[in-house]
Amino acid sequence: MLNTFLTSPKWIDIENWPISWEIGGTWLFPLLESIHVIAAAMVVGSILWVDMRLLGLASTRYAISTLNRELVPWTWGAFTVAAITGFGMFITRAASHVLNPAFQWKIFLLVLAGLNMVYFHYRIYRHIGQWDDAVATPTQLKITGGLSLILWAGVMLAGRWVGHIV
Amino acid sequence: MPEFMTNIGDLLTGSYLQQGALWALGNIPGFPPIIQTVHILGIAVVMGSIVLLDLRVLGLAVPSQKIGEMTERVMPWLWWALASNFISGAFFLFGRPNRYFNNPVFGWKLSFLIPAILLALVFHVMSKTQTNYWEFNTRRIWTAKCIALVSLGLWIMVAMAGRWIAYSEYIYFPA
Repeated sequence: MLNTFLTSPKWIDIENWPISWEIGGTWLFPLLESIHVIAAAMVVGSILWVDMRLLGLASTRYAISTLNRELVPWTWGAFTVAAITGFGMFITRAASHVLNPAFQWKIFLLVLAGLNMVYFHYRIYRHIGQWDDAVATPTQLKITGGLSLILWAGVMLAGRWVGHIV
Repeated sequence: MPEFMTNIGDLLTGSYLQQGALWALGNIPGFPPIIQTVHILGIAVVMGSIVLLDLRVLGLAVPSQKIGEMTERVMPWLWWALASNFISGAFFLFGRPNRYFNNPVFGWKLSFLIPAILLALVFHVMSKTQTNYWEFNTRRIWTAKCIALVSLGLWIMVAMAGRWIAYSEYIYFPA
């Protein structure tokens, strides 16, 4: 079933949208790509402090909830920009991207990073009052913070690798 | 491109530095994308340090962090990230020197990067001279805001130009 999905002629149709041709054949592609890199760097650069705080390694004078409240909106804003620019690049080569192992890894790692975030937000964060100011954070927080860093670095690596395979 | 730049390119061409870089890029499995990722992670730290600090000074981000404390905390991250990016970038510079030293877009990148580093250095050094140096009086606050605005633009352009090095033909030889 997954194979049928990945080899569907629909992906070729996407590549043939007028907008796909417009992006793929002009300076729009490098423009989207450079914005994508800056936005992706901002995703990691902003979530970095929340993750380092969860690990108890940086910004320990601030409450976890404060960092979360002030930094995560930047992560989401940057993520939105990265998603839009990423989609713009994806449609220029949709059929080859879905079959590209680096692209598949990137999506897989993105899903894992998303699940880790959902787990943090809905399972851990509701009890954050217990450790909000703690410098020595419990293992549970260290794991979710560490996983976030590793997964986002993995998304970056897989994303960068996409261009070496296509 | 100024002549001394193209001279550096010529000097590196055929050198042991080039041979070493090309060997690493060609023989270590996955080395090019890995080292590029290290470079982009360095840019992520630039975003998380100086760019967030600039946004803070401009009153756009992390309002509960004090400028003086934040400067002391994030600037070491910037310097380490830049050191790391000089090393990761050097593999590509040494590997194909003429692609960079003969490329006007790389020239732009340097002309954004050098003032960006100098401004960050001024901001960091002055901040060390006095607690809350940049918030001491209105004049300093506005000086800091001006520095932050220019710095923000420069760092964005450094990353932008970096990515466009590979696409200089779009600018210099448009279809």
